[in-house]
Amino acid sequence: MEEIEPIFLNPNEILRDNPDNPLDFFKDKAICLFKACLEYYYPGIRNCLRELLEDFNFEVKTSLEQSCCSGTFLQRNLITRAQFAAINERNIASMNEIADILIVSCNGCYNSLLRGRNFLRTEEIKDKATKILKEINKEILFRPKLKVIHVLDFLHLIRENIADKLKFTLKGLKCAVHYGCHYLNLRFDKLDDKSFVAPKHKLEDLIESLGGSVADYQERESCCGWGASQNVIHREEALKITFNKLKSAENAGADLLVTNCPTCLYTLNKFRDYMQELFGESPQIPAIHINELIGVLMEYECDHYCLTRVSPLIEELKI
Amino acid sequence: MVDTEENSKKWDFFERIVQDVNENRNLLQCISCGKCVGDCPASKISNFNIRKIVQRVLAGDESILEEEDIWYCFLCNKCSKLCPKEGINIPLFMLALRNEAFKKGQKIPQLKKYINMCKDFLNNGTVMKESELTSERIKEIQEICKFARIKYLQKASKKKIGVQE
Repeated sequence: MEEIEPIFLNPNEILRDNPDNPLDFFKDKAICLFKACLEYYYPGIRNCLRELLEDFNFEVKTSLEQSCCSGTFLQRNLITRAQFAAINERNIASMNEIADILIVSCNGCYNSLLRGRNFLRTEEIKDKATKILKEINKEILFRPKLKVIHVLDFLHLIRENIADKLKFTLKGLKCAVHYGCHYLNLRFDKLDDKSFVAPKHKLEDLIESLGGSVADYQERESCCGWGASQNVIHREEALKITFNKLKSAENAGADLLVTNCPTCLYTLNKFRDYMQELFGESPQIPAIHINELIGVLMEYECDHYCLTRVSPLIEELKI
Repeated sequence: MVDTEENSKKWDFFERIVQDVNENRNLLQCISCGKCVGDCPASKISNFNIRKIVQRVLAGDESILEEEDIWYCFLCNKCSKLCPKEGINIPLFMLALRNEAFKKGQKIPQLKKYINMCKDFLNNGTVMKESELTSERIKEIQEICKFARIKYLQKASKKKIGVQE
């Protein structure tokens, strides 16, 4: 039986093999950016990352064939595990043709790509997915050259290179971090139980590299409140989780909430007015994706929505 | 112990859950310690209690499928990280339970909120209104989802899954 090779990059290995400059590992490799659905509301997430990579002289691609990762439909049993795996394998196959490295800026999409691949280790699902893919003249790639990395793991590896290029830093700004459940509690890309349960600190490291300080807060590890679309089906209840998270970050004195997932960002940003209605208070702390934040500090052209969220803070930084 | 008819029937439900997802057999290791409930976001906002749900499934209590509780899981996997036992995967267990609810023809009214998302995905290949995919590529997605429940939801068939637009 041919084995399904894991598709994720191991950042520790990259660091071990390139201790002086992890960026060297990526040199001469074609990079593709995965398009997450909620980047639609936050175009800066992809645009800023693209500009950053181009600043490092990378050839950056996006696929015209990539579909949505379909995680949200698996979570409600609206597609089977085989159909879900087929959708993700189809995406992997299309990007495998144009790139060596796939950077994913969304926890959900990253989870889907790895989860789909993991499902294929069950013989029955593999057979069904093979059949489904055959109908569209595609097949499972057992050893794709394409390797996937979460944007946070990537940015963490090259944080010193980024720090060298910043137009201005986060000096004096206190940042709270939000990783999101599907980054914090993901098992698929961990080689052992220890790395699964180990505390995560990469966002904090990044903030410090960008010149900011970190605000520790009670609800650091809690969910953003999206909760696999709980925000869609039980919105009022789910927003309690969002509200608590935002208030907890505010109470810890944070000026800014930094996340690595567009879905979390959407949840943390979009429902402030509704919170006012529900809880009589609307948290004021702005939330931003780490890609957008780096874009702002690099003075890349960010979208209007991104800038209005953080503009007062950024003006302070420029002084 | 004599395997009475009642006893074997009790395990029917569990076996169906295991048949759907083999890993669910690991639920037999559950020691009901409750660590999973301690930091569960769903437990903070609803009556969702994963320890009780596991107990009820192991006791063969199928009435759990009729309850709103099983639709509250955030699928955040925090519980799997806290669980002292090996290989208990609560998100997959919840998906298997919800699958059983579907198969039993339970009415799942919250799903009407998914109708537009399903339509967009099948028409555009993304859950957003705009798509860069050509019609040829979108057909591939439609082919993959040919027999999926998402199709029924797209048609908003009241009969199939108990929802209406």
